Amino acid sequence: MKTRRTFLSQTTAAAGGAFLFDIVPARALGLQGQTPPSDTINFGHIGIGGRGRGFLRPEANLGKPVPASTNLGGDGSRMLRPARSMALCDVDAARLDDAATRVGGRPKMYKDFRRLLEDKDVDAVYIASPDHWHALMTIMACQAGKDVYVEKPACNTIEEGRAMVAAAERYGRVVQVGSQGRSQTAAWQAANYIRGGRLGTVRKVLCWHYASPDGDWTPDAEPPQGLDYDMWVGPARWLPYNVKHTHGAFRWMIDFGGGQIRDRGAHVMSIANWIMDCDHTGPVSVDAKGDPPRDGMYDSAVTMEVTYEFKNPDWTLVWAQPGVPSAELDARYGAVYWGDNERITVTLGDGAGTATDQKVKDYAAQCDCGKAFRSPGHSENFEDCIRTREKPIMHMEAAHRVASLCILGNVAFQLQRKLDWDPVNERVLNDDEANCMLSRPGRGPWHL
Amino acid sequence: MPDDQKFLADIQSDSADARFSAWRQAGEVSPSVIPQLGKLAASASPGVAKAAREALTTMTHSVGKDPAAPNRAAVVKGLLEVAGGGFALPARVHALRLLSGIAGEDSVPAIARRIHDPDLREEAAYAIERIPGDASVKALMAAYKEANDDFKPRILAALGHRRAPDAAGLCVEAMRSANKDIAVAGVKAFGRIGRKPASPPRLPDEKSLSEWQRIDTMDSMLRYADAQGREGNAAEAMRIYRTALERPEPHWQCAAVIGLARLASSEAAAAIFPKLKSDNRIVRITAEKAWKSMAVPAPG
Repeated sequence: MKTRRTFLSQTTAAAGGAFLFDIVPARALGLQGQTPPSDTINFGHIGIGGRGRGFLRPEANLGKPVPASTNLGGDGSRMLRPARSMALCDVDAARLDDAATRVGGRPKMYKDFRRLLEDKDVDAVYIASPDHWHALMTIMACQAGKDVYVEKPACNTIEEGRAMVAAAERYGRVVQVGSQGRSQTAAWQAANYIRGGRLGTVRKVLCWHYASPDGDWTPDAEPPQGLDYDMWVGPARWLPYNVKHTHGAFRWMIDFGGGQIRDRGAHVMSIANWIMDCDHTGPVSVDAKGDPPRDGMYDSAVTMEVTYEFKNPDWTLVWAQPGVPSAELDARYGAVYWGDNERITVTLGDGAGTATDQKVKDYAAQCDCGKAFRSPGHSENFEDCIRTREKPIMHMEAAHRVASLCILGNVAFQLQRKLDWDPVNERVLNDDEANCMLSRPGRGPWHL
Repeated sequence: MPDDQKFLADIQSDSADARFSAWRQAGEVSPSVIPQLGKLAASASPGVAKAAREALTTMTHSVGKDPAAPNRAAVVKGLLEVAGGGFALPARVHALRLLSGIAGEDSVPAIARRIHDPDLREEAAYAIERIPGDASVKALMAAYKEANDDFKPRILAALGHRRAPDAAGLCVEAMRSANKDIAVAGVKAFGRIGRKPASPPRLPDEKSLSEWQRIDTMDSMLRYADAQGREGNAAEAMRIYRTALERPEPHWQCAAVIGLARLASSEAAAAIFPKLKSDNRIVRITAEKAWKSMAVPAPG
């Protein structure tokens, strides 16, 4: 076994005897008098439809104090750091033009995201494409040396998520995934309350959410002029263009999205995984029941109840659409945390309006005994980490583990059988077909 | 077991509820109905086509877990028939996708024949890429030899995704192609396989590559170096990382520093050391973190 002493002596010799200690003085590291980082971050934006528009930084705001959006978790007191949207990309020319108008100035405009990633003036990217593009765009952005904020859910397959983790680690990039619930004040208060032991041991977390739409039959059509539909489909299975499965409606298709469990599950279960300290592990079994659409073009679950069993510590997570809403707080979705002593609710988890019980707020006001990290806001946390190179609150491994819950729920639902999951090796035990569904080969030139 | 004719009649029912009830129970129906379902999967009625596709899917999943399931061979045989010809394209595509989840090596030759069909080649490659076993790798390598140039990168991607060591030589050969799409696809597959060839591969001339091809090439070599490091071939990994360290691109330097730190050797530390004074802030911070991670605790 190599010891510190032998390691250091060998290393010193190899480096020409230039140093003797593994803790090198700051002066020797060149840290003193270093050039401060540029004050302004140059952002590229890939996917600038409904969600992506929210990340734009209008040129006219540069140099002005602009409060950070509370939708992303801040309390509204913090000003945005200086940044500009210097490059825009979308496969839909109409959306690209609209974004350019909103930004003002003279942003660079691209239809192929690779050209934006090649742009050396871009420091970091916001990716708000449809889900089936998240993994490849994130990986390729890391390859090109960009830090990444990518919308949730992180990925569409387990293999994609693991490849995203590998890419972020290989290049030392900061990757924040857009489950901004963790940056919401209510989630921090609940984490503080539970980690402070107020609930006792938490044995179950029950999520509720309304059902997915079952869709209708809308005829396929020619893609609208200005939309590069082949690029929109990208790595996913080819389907003829249909207005009901593109842009905002993609999420009801398994190939592109994956239903409510992936769309909102990536918010509600993200908070649960964070509070329960499961960002580096997963359940040992996943069981699902419910109904797919009886008719119509969609194929993700309309109703479903997915039960995840965790071990060491033992607890149960249930995703249910519809499920049983909180008796205490009124909201369309959220989760109830059941402890030995009592229960609490965290509603929503995606934006402004996320709430928790009054007793939790009161506790947080007098004590931060739980010591949960308090994010200043999701984008702000991302931009802080761009400077510090620390991992953000929804770092890639955590996001992959949350996405894994959503993906495994859908796989168990599709196969109509319980899955025994190995969270270390990320394989289903004794089920080759299920394992096959943990990855999807890409189409055309688009591969992990 | 439900009556086959009643099942097929329900799949074609005007009632969405009757169709739904039928396809949800398709796992209990005889696989002998698969060809009829294949025909119905292309019905002009979208509801009937969906019910037929979902019935095929349910039937496939019902035999998917257990390789010794009584009906599994019959389901695979039925799906191969639908994929093979005489059926509408959407039905054939759907059958290939289902086969990708449950077919064994003995099905590979029949599927591989579709890789030369312009309408089916993408789905055939998808299916073979997923089917476990050596037969799939051999089929992909054979298909590469006969494929049109525009499809060779797709086959190389499948071999790279399979991490097929036997294909490393083919990838090295592809790197020498005058067609840069094929050459870079060869590099990408080579990097993902991560197996050291007998002699160092000749990478495509960088000046002849587009900017993105250049990025892909370095990324692939870094993946290769990572794989070599994991396999204990530190010298080969060091060779690649040193090349990346000398490049002006900060993120390639970062990747090299991170890879070197994993090697945790005195030589690796020496290579990282100058980057502790890098003018680039991100490279410098990355080097500091790497440096700290390499400290080996003293025993006891």
